[in-house]
Amino acid sequence: MEEQKEISFRIYRYNPHFDKKPYYDNIRITLEKGITVLRALNFIKENIDSKLTFRAFCQAGICGSCGLKINGVSKLACMTQVFKELEDSKEENVILIEPLNNFTIMRDLVVDMDPLVEKLKYYYSWVNPKMPVHELGKKEYLISEEKFQEYDQATDCILCASCVSECLMMEVNPNYISPAVLLKSYRMNVDERDSMQKTRLKKVTSDGGVWDCTHCYKCVEHCVKNIDIMKGIQGLRNSGMKTVSKRSEGAKHAKAFITDIKRKGRLVEFTLITRTLGFIKPIFMLPMMIKMLLRRRVPPPSFMMSEIPRIEKVRKIFRKLKKKNF
Amino acid sequence: MKYAYFISCINESMTKELDIAFEKWKTDLGIELVKLEEGTCCGGSNLDYVSPKHCWTINARNIALAEKMDLDLVTSCNTCLLSLRHAKHDLDTKEGLKEQVNELLAKDNLEYTGKAQIKHLLWVLNEDFGLDTLARKIKTPLKDLKIAPFYGCHILRPSHLMGVDDPNAPSSLHQLIETLGAQTVPYASANKCCGFHTLLVAEEESLNIAANALEDGIRSGADYIVTPCPLCHTSLDLYQNKALKSRKNLPKNSIPILHLTQLVGLALGYSKKELGIDKHMIL
Repeated sequence: MEEQKEISFRIYRYNPHFDKKPYYDNIRITLEKGITVLRALNFIKENIDSKLTFRAFCQAGICGSCGLKINGVSKLACMTQVFKELEDSKEENVILIEPLNNFTIMRDLVVDMDPLVEKLKYYYSWVNPKMPVHELGKKEYLISEEKFQEYDQATDCILCASCVSECLMMEVNPNYISPAVLLKSYRMNVDERDSMQKTRLKKVTSDGGVWDCTHCYKCVEHCVKNIDIMKGIQGLRNSGMKTVSKRSEGAKHAKAFITDIKRKGRLVEFTLITRTLGFIKPIFMLPMMIKMLLRRRVPPPSFMMSEIPRIEKVRKIFRKLKKKNF
Repeated sequence: MKYAYFISCINESMTKELDIAFEKWKTDLGIELVKLEEGTCCGGSNLDYVSPKHCWTINARNIALAEKMDLDLVTSCNTCLLSLRHAKHDLDTKEGLKEQVNELLAKDNLEYTGKAQIKHLLWVLNEDFGLDTLARKIKTPLKDLKIAPFYGCHILRPSHLMGVDDPNAPSSLHQLIETLGAQTVPYASANKCCGFHTLLVAEEESLNIAANALEDGIRSGADYIVTPCPLCHTSLDLYQNKALKSRKNLPKNSIPILHLTQLVGLALGYSKKELGIDKHMIL
């Protein structure tokens, strides 16, 4: 006989039409090893509480419907083994089930995905073909293997929204583009069949867009398909810097690093603020700067910073790199 | 125990006290450091998208400088750790990349081989030096202190490049703090972000990210937040007043932030002044 355990599912419950505030239900069931969290939830709905509300469909990690927080971490219920999850439980034999973060809760474990869908629309998350309309559907639109490799991994995204739930920028700005939409934007922008890279990139690099990512890598860590979402984010930044977003604060900030490594070997932090923001905005930072001065925390100005020893070797490498492509 | 020590740009300017504290006690633990004077900035998690080829090459050079001395490379900054380990991972796994980079480094008599390990100071203390040995060196156990450990992102994520802590439930900093005799407090922000990397381009949002962590720390009842990253320190200390401006009804108005090196220094018997704690914005 398979190993069995009595397990408590501590499930977030909330019906905004009736409940004054959310609460947790403790439901104890005996399960065999090998059962997924989704099968456990289905069992509870069919046998214990038919009102428990959650989304699910394919049960095979393909449709992305059953994204939840399990023991505090966003993942797919259908791909999560109950017995494996118990190893991470804070309380013995208790599994905490909650809805995704950064969404409005509609009922129990179901969240409102509409804002994410609206963002997908707003950022043109589709391929707008270069091929004339009258030719569409009449012949294949082939792409090179090399180009396809650039976004092959990004096409694995199933929009489960685990990355959106974990994103720390989303926590403070619900209007932020979100990692999922950034990934889609990258995927469409590197598709050579697409005709609206520039238009999309303009939107993606504006306020609340790609420059607002804090590089916390939460999205990468929690992608249920192991997609390197940061590669997409950085790909968009790279394209933006070369085209529509050359003079943005984000681009100016990033360029300072390469300039300073060539000039001094190290970052000249003294002028980083003005090189990023210009001279007007930093005026509002003066009180903080004065306090820094009093505590001797102001970085040295460029003329007081010596170059690293043998910097000419670094500059020589930079010159050679100009002609190299890898 | 001898290491090449990576010079983080911020430790040379805005968070000098991190290294001042480290310098105080490193010999007490028998740690010998050779500063990587010829090393360049790591690219600060920006150069990798500005120009990946520059990022690989300068970090291969940084690591090669340590390899030339036959030493592992240690850093006390999370983002330097990420940049160096990211470059190392690519150099070790991308076909032909190491050879292309070495062609450029050869003119400088340098070669990236991949033999040097890239470590964070926290890992050196926990793993190489060992917490049991550290416990025996303590002169002033921090038994009355309650500490909220704040790891910062780039020592935890992406975990396939780090591999020391569970990014969802990290423990290395907790263990070190408890070894020093202090008590760690449970709070939700231990593995969250400080907002540093977007402080200039998305100030309001970044300050809110910092404020979330600070508020959690204050509400946990901790005396200090301790971080192993100078960038997190900057965000949480330098910007603290600004970040907490919008937060009301907090049990106290502020919480001081310590560098990992300062907390170790306190346990090894050094004074706050000697460790540069008086240089912080929040005292």
